[in-house]
Amino acid sequence: MAFLEINNVSKKFGTTEAVSDFNLHVEKGELVSFLGPSGCGKTTTLRMVAGFEVPTGGRIVMDGRDITDLPPNQRDVGMVFQSYALFPNMTVAGNIGFGLKVMKKPAEEINQRVSEMLELINMPKYAERFPYQLSGGQQQRVALARALALRPEMLLLDEPLSALDAKIRVSLRAEIRSIQQKLGITAIYVTHDQEEALSLSDRVVVMNTGRMEQVGTPFEIYNFPTTSFVANFVGTLNTAEVEVTDPAGGLVGMDGVQFVSSDEHVKSRRKGDKVRISIRPERFSFVTEGEKENVVDCRIENITFLGSVVRIQMTIGNQKFNMDTFNRPSLALPEIGDQRQVTCSSKAVLVLKD
Amino acid sequence: MKKFNIWPWIILLIGMVYFFLPLIATFEFSLKMIKDRYTFEAYRVAFTDSKFFLNFGYSVLWAVLTMICSTLLVVPTAYWVHWKMPNARPYVEFVTLMPFVVPAVTLTYGLLSLYGSPPIVLIGSPILLIAGYIVLSLPYMFRAVDTGLRAIDVRTLTEAALSLGAGWGTILTQVIFPNLRVAILSGIFLTFAIVMGEFTFASLLSWPAFGPYLEEIGSMRAYTPQALSVVSFMLTWISIGLLQLIGRGRGQEQVAGAH
Repeated sequence: MAFLEINNVSKKFGTTEAVSDFNLHVEKGELVSFLGPSGCGKTTTLRMVAGFEVPTGGRIVMDGRDITDLPPNQRDVGMVFQSYALFPNMTVAGNIGFGLKVMKKPAEEINQRVSEMLELINMPKYAERFPYQLSGGQQQRVALARALALRPEMLLLDEPLSALDAKIRVSLRAEIRSIQQKLGITAIYVTHDQEEALSLSDRVVVMNTGRMEQVGTPFEIYNFPTTSFVANFVGTLNTAEVEVTDPAGGLVGMDGVQFVSSDEHVKSRRKGDKVRISIRPERFSFVTEGEKENVVDCRIENITFLGSVVRIQMTIGNQKFNMDTFNRPSLALPEIGDQRQVTCSSKAVLVLKD
Repeated sequence: MKKFNIWPWIILLIGMVYFFLPLIATFEFSLKMIKDRYTFEAYRVAFTDSKFFLNFGYSVLWAVLTMICSTLLVVPTAYWVHWKMPNARPYVEFVTLMPFVVPAVTLTYGLLSLYGSPPIVLIGSPILLIAGYIVLSLPYMFRAVDTGLRAIDVRTLTEAALSLGAGWGTILTQVIFPNLRVAILSGIFLTFAIVMGEFTFASLLSWPAFGPYLEEIGSMRAYTPQALSVVSFMLTWISIGLLQLIGRGRGQEQVAGAH
C-alpha cells in the first residue's frame, strides 16, 4: 500500500471545479511534484492534503489512516509556503521551535532539536536573528527547518522558491532535494516551473484545468509527453497536425512532407486520420551524410542565440519548426533564407493523445 | 529651485491659531484664580477636591475595563473576518461606524428602555456603561486592528501555525496578538482618551465619572473647570504622544519585516 493515497479527490468552489477526479499514490520517501500553470488546481490539491481545504469528493489516506476530514493541526504534515510565513515576532530559534513548544516538549529537547535543524540548513549562527534580518533564501531555509522540526510524516511545499531570485532558486532547490533525501521524508512539491519539477522530483504530475494530464518520471514526462498540453508546457516543442498516410509503415504527412514515426499509436490509426505529432527541437539536426530517415527540406527563418544552445527557426512544408543545436565554436550556422535539409529519428516523432 | 509658496504656511498658521488660541486662553484663564497674579491655585483646588479623585478614578476604571473588553471583542472578530470571511469586512466596518451615526443620547435611551425592564434588567450594573463605551470605541479599535491585520499575512501565518499543530488559542495569543501589538495599543490609547472625556453615557446612566464631574463643577465654579479642561487635554495628548512613540519604535521593524 502506498504511503499517501489520494483517491478520486475533487474540489468545487461554488460551481467551478478546481480539481476533478485526482488519483495519486505516493510511496514513502518519494518526492512528487505537481506541475502546471496557475489555476490548474495544483495548490488546491496540496491544500487538501494539508487540511486547509476539504475535498468535495474522494478520500485522502495517509499511512493507512483516512485524513480527509482531519483538521490541519492534527495531520502531522510540515508545510512550506511561497511567502515563507515566518512568525515576525519570533527569532529564528523561536520559529523553528514553535511546533515543539506547542506540543509542550521540555525546553532542553526543544533547544537540542532547534540546533540540529539549524545545522541541517547550514545556519547555526542565526538562532537569535529575527526574520526581517534575513534574506529571502535564508527565510525560506528557516521555514523548511521549522516544517521539519516536528519530524512530520510528510513535507508539503507550495511554490517555495517562486519568490526568490534565479541563482538562489537553483541552489536552494538542490538543498531541498538533498535534505529530503537525507531524511527520507515523503514530499509533495507544487511548482509552475518545469525546470524545477524535472530537476528535483522522483515523479511529476502535470496538471491542467483541474485535471491530471500525465504522471511519470521527469524522463518520461520530458521525452514521452502523452498529451499536447504536456508536450507544450514541458520544454519547447514542435507540434503539427498531420494526416496518417500509411498506418502500418508509420507514415504521416502534411503539405507534401512525409515523416516516419515509430510511435505505436500510428499503427492503431486508419489511413486519412488526423493526428497531432510532436518533435523536440533538439531532436532535429542538419543532414550530414548517410541519414535516410525523415530527411526533409526546410527554409531557415531565424536564428536565436541562447548561450549554450542555438535555436533555429525553420519552415517545413508550411509549418514553423524549431531546431536546437549545441553551440560549438566549430558550428557553421546557416544564413537566414537558406534552403537546407534537416533530419530526425523516427523515434523522435511522437503522436499525442489529443 | 522651486519658488517659495507662502499660502500653505498662511493656511497652516490660521489653522493653528484657530486650534491653539482657545486652548491658550483657557490655560491663561485657569492661572488667574488669584487676582492680578498667575498661579496654579485653580489646579491646587481641583486636585485637593476628594470628589475629583473619586470621579477620575472611576473614569480610569471604566476606561481600563473598556480597553480590555473591546480588545477581547475586536481582535478575534477582526482576525476571523480577515481569515475566514473577507467579504464580510465592509459590513463589519459599517457596524463599527454606528457611534458616528447614532448619537450617544439615542444609544443610551435605547439601552435604558431595552434593559430597564424584564426580561433582562441591567440598570444599576456597570455592564450597560461598559457596553456603551465599547460601542463608542469600536470605530477606533476596529480600524486600528484592521490596519494591523492588513500589514501581516494573516492567512498564511495562521496556516503555518495550524500545520505546526497549534490550536486557535495558541495562534491568537502567540502569533496574532504579538504581531498586532502596535495596532492594539493605538486602538487602546484612543479608547482611553475617549472614555476619559465621555459625558453622555456616564451622566444618563448615573455613574460617577470625570465628564459629569467636570460639567457639575463647571456650573458652580469659574476657574477649576478650566484647570481640569487643560488637564484633560494634556491627558489626551499624552495618550497620543505615547502612541506615536510606540508606533515609531516598532514601525521600522515591521516595514523591514514585510520583505
